[in-house]
Amino acid sequence: MAAELVYVFAFLVAVACGYLLFRGYQRSERRLLLWSSICFFFLSLENLLLFVDLVIIPDVDLRLVRGLITLVGMSFLVYGLVWERE
Amino acid sequence: MNLEVMPMETWISMIFGMIAMACLVVSLVFLRFWRLSGDRFFALFAGSFALLAVVRLGLGVVPVDTEGRTLLYWVRLLAYLMILAAILDKNRPKPERHPAP
Repeated sequence: MAAELVYVFAFLVAVACGYLLFRGYQRSERRLLLWSSICFFFLSLENLLLFVDLVIIPDVDLRLVRGLITLVGMSFLVYGLVWERE
Repeated sequence: MNLEVMPMETWISMIFGMIAMACLVVSLVFLRFWRLSGDRFFALFAGSFALLAVVRLGLGVVPVDTEGRTLLYWVRLLAYLMILAAILDKNRPKPERHPAP
């Protein structure tokens, strides 16, 4: 039960972070906030898939898909940190 | 897509390693921002992504279906909460400073 809770909480917190970062981007137009929010939306998707993977369909291994989603999300943030002036 | 060039576990380990490295790089960049600006927003982000790097490495090492993995996910949640705290702290209304008479 504790394991399921942590997956759900992590998804909710990641969504909240993504939303707040996007709102910050809308106010300030600092593109680093946009890349950060995109990263967190991918991380929240990964957390949602984690719940699906480990709780709903435990017989199917979604680690590769989850890993690729996380990697894409982190790539947006790395790109933003490298290319955007901040 | 033919993944038979490498076993699935090798692919997963490689991707997890890439994610850990990305988290570490992000943490170092935010650490640099903190050193330049002194803004604790960047310090919290740096600490959080350093934790995420450690968690990702742990997920690659700790066997599946063990208590250790659940603990790692709790640490990951802590890292996300640090980021949320940093954002909320940054967006807090700042008290107005009145100049001395």
